Amino acid sequence: MAVLPPDLTAARFASFLDELRGAVGADYVWSSDEDMVAYRDSFSPIWDTKEERLASAAVAPAEVEQVQAVIRIAGKYKVPLFPISTGKNFGYGGPSPNVTGSVVLDLKRLNRVLEVDDKRHFALVEPGVSYFDLYRHIQDKGLKVMVDCPDPGWGSPVGNSLERGIGYTMPHFRDHFGAHCGMEVVLPDGEVMRTGMGAMPGSQTWQEYPYGFGPDPAGLFAQGNFGVVTKMGFRLMPLPEYYRTGMITVPRRRDFVKLVQHVNYLNDSGLIGEVEYGSPLRAKMADPAFLALVTKTGGPSDAEMDAAASQFGLHNWQVELQFFGPKATTLENWNFAKGLILGDIPGAQALEGEHFALPVTEDQLDNLGQPYPTSIKRRRSLGVPSLGEWKIVRDDGHIGFFPVLARTGEAVFEVQRVLGDAMKEFPTLPPFFNALTTPLMWHTHTFQMVFAPSVKHDDPAHNAISHAAMIKCVAVAAEHGWGDYRAAPVYQDAVAGSYSFNNHVLRRFHEQLKDAIDPDGIIAPGRGGIWPRRFRAGGAPA
Amino acid sequence: MISRRDMLKWGVIAPAVAGMPAAVSAAAPQGIDALVLDRRFSALDQQPAFTAPVKWIDGDVTKLWFEQLDLRWRQPGFVLGGITGPDALWVLDVLARDRGRRVTARKVLPVAAGEVAPVSWVIAPVHPSVKG
Repeated sequence: MAVLPPDLTAARFASFLDELRGAVGADYVWSSDEDMVAYRDSFSPIWDTKEERLASAAVAPAEVEQVQAVIRIAGKYKVPLFPISTGKNFGYGGPSPNVTGSVVLDLKRLNRVLEVDDKRHFALVEPGVSYFDLYRHIQDKGLKVMVDCPDPGWGSPVGNSLERGIGYTMPHFRDHFGAHCGMEVVLPDGEVMRTGMGAMPGSQTWQEYPYGFGPDPAGLFAQGNFGVVTKMGFRLMPLPEYYRTGMITVPRRRDFVKLVQHVNYLNDSGLIGEVEYGSPLRAKMADPAFLALVTKTGGPSDAEMDAAASQFGLHNWQVELQFFGPKATTLENWNFAKGLILGDIPGAQALEGEHFALPVTEDQLDNLGQPYPTSIKRRRSLGVPSLGEWKIVRDDGHIGFFPVLARTGEAVFEVQRVLGDAMKEFPTLPPFFNALTTPLMWHTHTFQMVFAPSVKHDDPAHNAISHAAMIKCVAVAAEHGWGDYRAAPVYQDAVAGSYSFNNHVLRRFHEQLKDAIDPDGIIAPGRGGIWPRRFRAGGAPA
Repeated sequence: MISRRDMLKWGVIAPAVAGMPAAVSAAAPQGIDALVLDRRFSALDQQPAFTAPVKWIDGDVTKLWFEQLDLRWRQPGFVLGGITGPDALWVLDVLARDRGRRVTARKVLPVAAGEVAPVSWVIAPVHPSVKG
């Protein structure tokens, strides 16, 4: 299992580790097989194969100065570092690096909540702070702000936003990178840089105005490898007074087109939080004849789906809406939504959902009071971190492909048909894409759909199928302009390659930047599909 | 690294926890500070009282983590035993590693074919910062 960094002898590696120990303390440098288990990607489809990406060691600094020291030592030995915040990026690579032999720069000891302001509504945190930590800080101090957390919530706001992760509250907070405001970065030469107003000594607005003056490089540090983020600010939603839910169903398959247009309007006007699209017909997928219809090659016709819905006495589609704000406003927004949709789609129906004042109680978090079957997970909807999501993960985990597509009903139907047909090559996998697959509206202004085949540590044949299906999904989707938004290291080159406008000029631009500031690839070579000159010969040292 | 002393200590504990459902042990295994039991395995409900504090979960460790372990695992010591589904153990294992702890014993318990097997386990501090 033991591996070495690229181009480094065992003796030089030992010297390198000694220098790291001198910088951070002997107890915070790890390289034994037993210790390195924590830095494997437990969800890897290439688990225990010769392709699995394995780190050679891990180092955990506790201060920014120690991060600088580690980066300078790595530069001296030309050892690639792979920074992680809390390493919980499961489904997208977890804590494992792009390059075997990299040393994981584990930032879990930089775990201070530096500031939470509930009058100006922001937080400033270090990368080792988890959503649980931030939530606890806010609760303990009785602050009137709400976290927007992913699910599960054990990752860090810094790491999740740098992966462009998402949450489940109001539109402008769900895009976690979009909601960031100001960062501190240790550059590949060890210098510390601050973005936005953080670049101005004496500024009091680092977490209020993200841009400062001139070009804003903050985007380079998301899914990138241009530095190590050691502080990051986030906008927080003021704790709303009230929370309200409701569901709207529409009878015919083609009604989905108008339903999406109306929900887009509500979302983009800031009237609703995250929505959950679904289909009442999913309850009938255990019926073999109906399953055959919804997974039919080329997709079923509208008439076939409408006939099936009539036969079952169900509507084709539903959407669950959530409202945040003053009590009167949530009621008026719900009434407005009902009027808008029911007035335009014949046969549409509205169901009143649960509603209550915030802060939420434990019973309300359990979400047992809805008068209809609900897909909403109440904890994440109200910014309360949870680990309950892990109960639904099949086998030993999963990989994830989440194509970005237009927010239209037609685009959803096309993805259902195209990727549904493409995945028929892998009949042992669940039919992720079928005529009832609904989009996710996690990011602020786009749809995504989900493909997440499982992995099994004891079944390499199963994993090979998931792996092959993933590669095909990326390729077929790209042919239609649907790009993956986030990927594990093993897929990052393929995904980056699909963003190929003008002979891959975006990738070439990134490579030029990488060559200029990190030619030896000290910071995460390969991350985001960006390889420095040293590594560009096929992902291995040139 | 786990020391020889640790190995001997956990070596006594692990078999005791591992055999618990079948053995119907009334006494908590010596050296364990608390037990996590998973209600999804109904046989565990029928056990007599344990002498160590029992933390019940339903597969979801959120409340156990936030209300107890997140705080307790910041301090030195505290050996946790449990019989849970493998999903809950995986979550606790990942969280434990963040706090200098590790699964030091693990045994999959026998069940009928097709059922999810519970796992008995021990999580103990191994890093110098939390070793008691």
